[in-house]
Amino acid sequence: MANTTPMTSREACDRILAGETKAIHVDGSIDLSGADLKKITCSISCNDLNLSGTAISTLPSDVKVRSRLNLDNCKQLERLPSGLTCGSLSLRGCTFLEQLPEGLSTWFLNASDCLRLSDWPKKASVINGNVQLRNCLEIRSIPDWLGPLGQLDLAGCANLHELPPGLVVSGWIDIGGSSILSLPLSLQAVSLRWRSVPVTHSIVFEPEKITSKQVLAEKNAELRRVMIERMGYLKFSEEVGAKELDQDTDAGGRRQLLKIEIDGDEPLVGLACRCPSTNRQYFLRVPPHMKTCHQAAAWMAGFDDPTLYQPLIET
Amino acid sequence: MDRRELVFMDSTSNKFWNIVLEGDSHTVTYGRAGTEGQTKSKSFSDQETARRDYEKLIAAKMKKGYVDADSATASTGDDHDSVPTLAFRSILKSDDIHQNAKTFIGKRIADYDPEKKAAPGGKTVYRFRSDWEEANCIPHLIHFLETDAAAEAIGIVIGNWAGDDSEGDPDEVIDLLCEKRDQLSSLKAIYLGDIVSEENEMSWIHQSDVTPLLEAFPNLELLRTRGGQDLAISNPQHTKLRGLICESGGLSAEVVRSIGRSEFPALEHLELWLGTEEYGGSSTVEDLQPILSGELFPNLKYLGLRNCEFVNDIAAVIVNSPLVQRIESLDLSLGVLTDEGGRALASLPTNGKLKHVSLHYNYLTNEVIKLLGKLPFKVDMSKPSHMDDDEEWRFVAVGE
Repeated sequence: MANTTPMTSREACDRILAGETKAIHVDGSIDLSGADLKKITCSISCNDLNLSGTAISTLPSDVKVRSRLNLDNCKQLERLPSGLTCGSLSLRGCTFLEQLPEGLSTWFLNASDCLRLSDWPKKASVINGNVQLRNCLEIRSIPDWLGPLGQLDLAGCANLHELPPGLVVSGWIDIGGSSILSLPLSLQAVSLRWRSVPVTHSIVFEPEKITSKQVLAEKNAELRRVMIERMGYLKFSEEVGAKELDQDTDAGGRRQLLKIEIDGDEPLVGLACRCPSTNRQYFLRVPPHMKTCHQAAAWMAGFDDPTLYQPLIET
Repeated sequence: MDRRELVFMDSTSNKFWNIVLEGDSHTVTYGRAGTEGQTKSKSFSDQETARRDYEKLIAAKMKKGYVDADSATASTGDDHDSVPTLAFRSILKSDDIHQNAKTFIGKRIADYDPEKKAAPGGKTVYRFRSDWEEANCIPHLIHFLETDAAAEAIGIVIGNWAGDDSEGDPDEVIDLLCEKRDQLSSLKAIYLGDIVSEENEMSWIHQSDVTPLLEAFPNLELLRTRGGQDLAISNPQHTKLRGLICESGGLSAEVVRSIGRSEFPALEHLELWLGTEEYGGSSTVEDLQPILSGELFPNLKYLGLRNCEFVNDIAAVIVNSPLVQRIESLDLSLGVLTDEGGRALASLPTNGKLKHVSLHYNYLTNEVIKLLGKLPFKVDMSKPSHMDDDEEWRFVAVGE
């Protein structure tokens, strides 16, 4: 840093895009979001660096970002340099990335929708800030070096079953749609969210205790939806005596289109059916204007015009 | 005999309140700073009752925002000319947003009148402002700068510069102050934007890059601005600046980031009104990381992140901040703080220097207020009387 004189952000952008090889130093931000950039050929030091939406596959190890490093939607991004240090690292939608770098140090990490991300470094420091791992389907564990954190978003991490003992989160954890069934002792008092909706521990961990009466008494529509999802649509529709709009037979047997009126929200309409392969019963929510089972099944298959939906076989 | 000496300063007043307990009676002396004040004594049936009343009165004053006169924020140390950090306070309660400042750095403010002789000795801080009828701001400032009082002025307040044009920026005022810096040789504090909603809504105020002021006044200790639009600190450096206040309905991420890469080694009071997206607020809690990391501002005593829509996010992260370990006062007031953020604050560090936490104007329920009441420091959780909470729509204090 000492040998380089600061240049303007504009100048820095132009040089990086032109394939500069000499060091670049900027006091403030460098914004190259959406730029036609495949490779960075020089060392960079700046406060904030935005490379989101570019086609870079890696980041040189001598890129020093003090505060925010934004690599959102860098679909080709494969590797990050070990020892990467910044205040906040955003990697949303980096769908090619499989691992985070060894020795990573940051306060904030957003790796939501990194669908292939699976490997944690052996040692890293991700502390004090927030970690978002929404829909990271390949994440199967949380490392014990993580935290303390402010917020932890694990919604949609369907293959994540447990959290490490001793994990500390002062704000909230979102575990909507994950496979987590209990929390470590260190998190017994944490605030919980279910896909962004603040919920009680009981709604998440004791769904069998939710009654349809509680659901209908709940004024908050978002929370009501989560409660119905947690207790199960089928159980809920049975308890409230859903109205049958239509019924027919498909490969799984009898199926029904059910409607439940809900105060202050659109009616809940869904198709109750059985999977022909597993014989499990499902309640699949559809738009409230659906009139027949066939129309609802067609809508789920992506057909707005049900006459066009004529499946040869359903499995 | 027991005694307690308390002081109160914000932008509407500067006052003292002392109490002496002797046997079965106590004596209270109170008034404007620098005056003798009034004295009132009260006797009780016994010593125990007198002491209870003594403790009760002190607690009530502390709740209102009084602090001990010898505490780090209120005292000036050996240098009696220096301004205590406490005097940097902007406003404490949401109702005061709608009043013009009455005091600045603990001194009385008067609108400058060219017909009257300016008070010498820097005792009065003069305000320069235009209104719908008369564009007096610049002409009066030019007049003042030619008087002997200008060289003694410690503080200066610029009110509504825009007059009948709500979109006018303060460039002309900034240029004038910078150009005449030699006439303002004692100046330590500038308030650029003492403007209330009657004059111009906070989110309509057009600000400017204030860097020229930092460069022109190397002895500046306090810079307070109001209005977020076009506010910039393009070169955030100053060796003596002790207080920086940016009040706004929405502060741009760029301003927050420039403070995050600033060099203000003497900073003691940092107050940012982060606001809402609707009014230009674009920062997120990530932008605050360089500030919260504790690597900046070795002398910081007060941190205010106020009028903030995402204060719950700040609450979750700030409890882990090394900076919060070593400041005396944390202010998260005027924002949309709900139980989620309140619960997070229950793990604020109790082994550091933190003494005062303001959560004034909040959406906390009684359950969480009770939880936070157990913290071993003073937590202001008051709400303005007109505050209603319909759960669906929650606003920051200034988001008109």
